[in-house]
Amino acid sequence: MAKVLMKGNEAIGEAAIRAGCKNYFAYPITPQSEVAEYLSKRLPEEGGVFLQGESEVAVGYMIFGAAGAGERVMTTSSSPGISLMSEALSYITAAQCPAVFVNIMRGGPGLGGILPSQGDYFQATKGGGHGDYHLLVLAPDGVQEAVEMTMQAFTLAEKYRNPVMILGDGLIGQMMEPVEFPDDLKTEPTNKDDWATNGMAHRKSDKRNLVKSLFLDPSALNNNNLVLKAKYEQMKKEEVQYELYNADTDYQVLITSYGTMSRVCRTSIDMLKSEGIETAMLRPKTLFPFPEKQVFDAAGKQSCKAVISIEMSMGQMVEDVERCVKGRRPVEFYGECGGEIPSPEKIIEIIKALL
Amino acid sequence: MTMDFTDIVIVAGNYGSGKTETAVNLAAACRKTGKSVAIADLDLVNPYFRTREARIPLEAMGIQVVLPDRQYLHADLPILAPAVADILRNPSDVTILDAGGDDVGVTVLASLAAVLKDRKIRMLQVINAFRPFTGDVAGCLKIQKQIETSGKIKVTGLVSNANLMDDTSAAHIYQGYDLVKQVSAHTGLPVEFITATPQIQSQLDMNRIACPVLTIDRHMTPPWKHAGTT
Repeated sequence: MAKVLMKGNEAIGEAAIRAGCKNYFAYPITPQSEVAEYLSKRLPEEGGVFLQGESEVAVGYMIFGAAGAGERVMTTSSSPGISLMSEALSYITAAQCPAVFVNIMRGGPGLGGILPSQGDYFQATKGGGHGDYHLLVLAPDGVQEAVEMTMQAFTLAEKYRNPVMILGDGLIGQMMEPVEFPDDLKTEPTNKDDWATNGMAHRKSDKRNLVKSLFLDPSALNNNNLVLKAKYEQMKKEEVQYELYNADTDYQVLITSYGTMSRVCRTSIDMLKSEGIETAMLRPKTLFPFPEKQVFDAAGKQSCKAVISIEMSMGQMVEDVERCVKGRRPVEFYGECGGEIPSPEKIIEIIKALL
Repeated sequence: MTMDFTDIVIVAGNYGSGKTETAVNLAAACRKTGKSVAIADLDLVNPYFRTREARIPLEAMGIQVVLPDRQYLHADLPILAPAVADILRNPSDVTILDAGGDDVGVTVLASLAAVLKDRKIRMLQVINAFRPFTGDVAGCLKIQKQIETSGKIKVTGLVSNANLMDDTSAAHIYQGYDLVKQVSAHTGLPVEFITATPQIQSQLDMNRIACPVLTIDRHMTPPWKHAGTT
């Protein structure tokens, strides 16, 4: 297919359609409302359903319902909306249902502002709701990757029967870039009959499925948590994605950054290179599972004097970076989170101070 | 071929068609011919990328720029600056109104109906053939009808702003031009102009294009391009 010019939000909507998602429930909030606007036009053309819930709390459970019935389902929201959905996320994860949640982050806490932010890193990667669980979190750095990750998210959600979150800052949703769509996802979830409440009519066996998150028997609850834990361990082995930039040089500083912020860092790295200063970036594409070993290895390069995590937050991913660097290099942090995105020049100034 | 715009020019079109980019560059082009020019941001739909990005270069050219009050610049609230009605009452040679996207974006025009009455108005529909929903004639006509219904004002001319940002080639410009020509054939509306960056413009075979070409300098750049690299 030829390239089209799309906003991140529109592209995420189209990607969901091409991944075979026929169910999209949402409640509007800036800066992601264009997903709903787009899918309200496009989904009916594809025989799908867009339903606006009366709140994000309701939407969360609409997702649970569709996911429990074995349907491909997605919602999109922005930070405060995701907070309202967090209870349902915990339930869906406990009940082991696949679903795709997109968070196009705005500034917080509270109502904050509508401009880009990466303040929901903790919420996305450490669970967010109550109980021991994780989401698999994908962080695109542009519209093309947002498309690819949205499509991938459905496959991953079904592989693990666990919600997958696309975590993009406001700019990822709002900016326009030329995109090319990969081939439509043709596969169907394979093991639905084993767990989903998708009706008995077509089944060969009489076994009834129950989708639930209540386990009053302590050993059953412990077992369910062990099953979840085993899935997170498997994700850590099989699903880590990251990108190294300018890392084949004798870099003096290793930057860790993701999303829009990483695009700015890339420009800074190029500008520093033209001044004869080598720096590199490790960009996690999966925030959970985090590229733990890769960060440890990249920080350990002989030439590397320091690691710096650059984020549109007050210091969140940096905690994972510190954990992975294990003290072998000093780990610094720079962040802004009012909504203005730090300029390449600002990043250069920060990095030069480390040399 | 030159463009000759006077009095009021409204720039409308589907969401993300490049209205702001077109309006800003049209303002600059009109100013360069020596006319007095004012531009107002009526985009109540999208507070992320708007005329404000181009405020400084426009004002440096002597163009009057009307934006929502600074304290509301980053609000997703439908606020129309009172100054908009003022510039319509005390017009420059050319007053350009940058409307918001889709039918929702032009509803504000209906509220300005009283001041717009009896004025010479050019209402431009900006079309980017590479955007969703306006890749064919039917899509363009559908948007046109929605805009006219919501804005209570008729489209008087068409503009092709065909582009894939940095991936744009001359072939894309021709493809977009051919689409607006087809829309023109269906509606009888003139193709007022097409847009192209200076680099692409130098590659165009002008014998193939029977309308003016507005040179576009892209002001709405993402933060990582401010330093001039990719």
